[in-house]
Amino acid sequence: MNLTINGVEHELSSPPLGSLLAALREEVGLTGAKAGCQQGGCGACTVLVDGEPVRACLLPLAAVDGASITTVEGLGTPEHLSPVQAAFHQEYGSQCGFCTPGMLIATHALLQRTPSPSRGEIEDALRGHVCRCTGYVKIIDAVEAAANGATAASGAGA
Amino acid sequence: MKAVGARLPRYDGVAHVTGRTTYVDDVRVHGMLWAKALRSPVHHAGIARFDTAKAEAAKGVHAVVTCKDVPKNVYGHLEALGIPADEPLLADGEVRWKGQPIALVAAESEEAAQAAVEAIEIDFDERPALFDIRTAGDPDAPKIHQWGNWYPHYEGGMDRRQIRKGDIERAFDQADTIVSGVYRPAAIEHCPLEPQTALVVPEPDGRLTIYSCTQALYFSMGVVAAHLECPLNKLKFVGGTVGGGFGGKVDTASETVTALLTMKSGRPVKWRWTREEEFLCSSTRAPWHMEISDAVTEDGWILGRKMLTLHDAGAYARFSPYGVTKHSFHHTGAYTIPNLHFDGYVVFTNRVPTTAMRGFGVTSVSFATELHVTRVAQVLGIDPFELRLRNANRIGDTSPNGISYTDPSTVPTILAIADAIGHELGAEYRTMSRDRRAGELLPEHLVDQVGSTEGH
Amino acid sequence: MARVSVTTSEEQAVVIPRSREEAVAAFGAGDGVTVMGGGTILMPELTSGRVRPERVLLLGRAGLDGQKEDGARLVIGAGVRIADLMDAPEPLGTAARRVGDAEIRSQATLGGNLCATAGADYPRGDLQAPLIALGATVRSAGAGGEHVEPVEEFLAGDPSSRLVLEVEVPTDRRGAYASVGRPHAHSYTILAVSGSVGPDGSDLRLAAAGAGPKSVRLDGPDGDPASSAGVALADDALASTWYRKKMLPVLVARVLSDLKENA
Repeated sequence: MNLTINGVEHELSSPPLGSLLAALREEVGLTGAKAGCQQGGCGACTVLVDGEPVRACLLPLAAVDGASITTVEGLGTPEHLSPVQAAFHQEYGSQCGFCTPGMLIATHALLQRTPSPSRGEIEDALRGHVCRCTGYVKIIDAVEAAANGATAASGAGA
Repeated sequence: MKAVGARLPRYDGVAHVTGRTTYVDDVRVHGMLWAKALRSPVHHAGIARFDTAKAEAAKGVHAVVTCKDVPKNVYGHLEALGIPADEPLLADGEVRWKGQPIALVAAESEEAAQAAVEAIEIDFDERPALFDIRTAGDPDAPKIHQWGNWYPHYEGGMDRRQIRKGDIERAFDQADTIVSGVYRPAAIEHCPLEPQTALVVPEPDGRLTIYSCTQALYFSMGVVAAHLECPLNKLKFVGGTVGGGFGGKVDTASETVTALLTMKSGRPVKWRWTREEEFLCSSTRAPWHMEISDAVTEDGWILGRKMLTLHDAGAYARFSPYGVTKHSFHHTGAYTIPNLHFDGYVVFTNRVPTTAMRGFGVTSVSFATELHVTRVAQVLGIDPFELRLRNANRIGDTSPNGISYTDPSTVPTILAIADAIGHELGAEYRTMSRDRRAGELLPEHLVDQVGSTEGH
Repeated sequence: MARVSVTTSEEQAVVIPRSREEAVAAFGAGDGVTVMGGGTILMPELTSGRVRPERVLLLGRAGLDGQKEDGARLVIGAGVRIADLMDAPEPLGTAARRVGDAEIRSQATLGGNLCATAGADYPRGDLQAPLIALGATVRSAGAGGEHVEPVEEFLAGDPSSRLVLEVEVPTDRRGAYASVGRPHAHSYTILAVSGSVGPDGSDLRLAAAGAGPKSVRLDGPDGDPASSAGVALADDALASTWYRKKMLPVLVARVLSDLKENA
């Protein structure tokens, strides 16, 4: 099974019917995507597959042969946070942090296709992501902040 | 004071947003085995036959542990608070709740461990189960706990948490009306995003390193050491990174058994609960049944309260006696009631044992008290804000357990709410404060209430 | 927890057909074959070990994900993602928009939803009812070759013995949809009524999802759409029979009213 993960090509030997989540965590060692429920019900395993946010726990590895995967580790690093990551940090959009990687991936995808989402559009995009700590308000604030920052940046020709 | 009021970055914020925060499930150790549990499929039964031989021989299995492998199987987590031990770590001869762990297997993969669990041979003699705490005292109720159907070990051998204050019979005689209500909040599942996970690594010097998601590292270390009958310095706990706990990760529900698997197999072992296990087998906030009767006057004084609380502890006591104690101390909520008759029972049922969850013991009684005060206001035809303000805690008033309030915030809070929503209050109410009672706010029935408690 | 067969992951065969013909050939009569569309329903079963199939047919590359208009009909491949059905003829479009959340919709397929496991614990075939209401037909392969049948007949049979290739729906009908609210995106449907009428307002067809494990047609034999006497209403952890019985006529009335209004 061949995958590009965060820009790096990998040849994986994990079982073809094992989940992409298990392959990422156990074989590749990228533990950012979390095993919160393994039923697609919590959103903590969300990654980008060819730019689309999907539940890595619901994808058999065989279905993503040849695909390009982006995990939270591919969005940015402590030294170079992406605008979305920086916004979540600054706006306190994270408490225990377990839902955060999934939220970031979904937010990143949302802002790619809708740079200035309404609060309703943000809620729709994150509707499948469960957070038990924050009560969601600060997460949505963080997405708005990220959107405003990006809009401002692109407005300035940055 | 530089920090208060300042916007400080979370020290773990950058790690959270870069996916680098290391939860127990993220720790990578060479040679790690996966654990799976055999859990009771029935609510209440004796174990008639139990044979793990096929599991032990199954492909990829390195260890199977049962109650026989636990040096001290029954240990009371709150013995220091006087709550004796009643719960086995692994079931011994019987099961008392559906989901109770009976045996654990450590194997090369989750799949191999699960297959081995399914190979364990076990037969049950089912027994009648008790689910409704209101029927626990019925003559024909099944007896489901060695102590009887409710906890009998409060101080002095009491079978309930009892508070008596003032003269309840006189209060009820003097009342113009009695207002009664029954309040029954249901169980709540903590549902942390991170499932219960433990990873135990054997060290060359004979110690165990235990990666734990516990909310209480030292507490859990003590529990594990007690069950294993080993000195504390044999254990190194690594933790403090918790993917949500809310009170549900103090039970030390996974560390001890995982440690046993490590000791028996000589290999690192991880036990990661599934979401189904979290929902069906992890401890919850308890369901409660509360009956309140308030003796009230026409002009809105609450003279006395009779209250009966039944707390559903599930199959074992865990922290419930402590929770009911806290509940009893707060059973008048934000209001001063001088005559009290409270009885609280920790009732056992054949359900998953209940545990702490934010505001343990107190959220139930706050819920009930607030609803009940509103009900009193409705019955009397008095504005619910004004009824509250009249009876609100003030400096020098005492709580059910005899604590004298030094700075209760009830009055200012209610006034602020009324102001925020534009609720009109009568003149005398608008100027109320938390100051020590005097004049019309100190009627005869409240005069002696300071320091007159005989709590238990 | 029942297991279908004792097969470890090393022994499971994964077949990934690259065309419709390959998929039909690989499916054969369906014996020993487990079909996976998007995986949203089947993967949790595999991961937990509740289902251990011998042979899994992954349909993601079999070319079944196209949509084609053919006169007043829309032919929808079984592999079409639910996300791509959000503007489908009503009430299919509205029902598609309500399935799960955005990520689930972009992975789940029409075929998978149509063939959703019919257990009382898994009422997930929400698109069955709008398809019944539209009078959709299903083309499937299996023992005896390919055939086309009304979706209710397909559902009455054993979906595991058929490989759904495509579903055909009319594009010239008017549709409406009404449902009991769900607390959150992943809640199962308690009760949802789908309805549609022909271009001239006749030929009313009604169906309900959530009444039982599979969607059912609602019109009574006497043609009275509000007659739910014959509909078995489930009593389960989601809702009681009493509640469903109260809500069914309310939802039917809403659908009928919407169909009249949009005339």
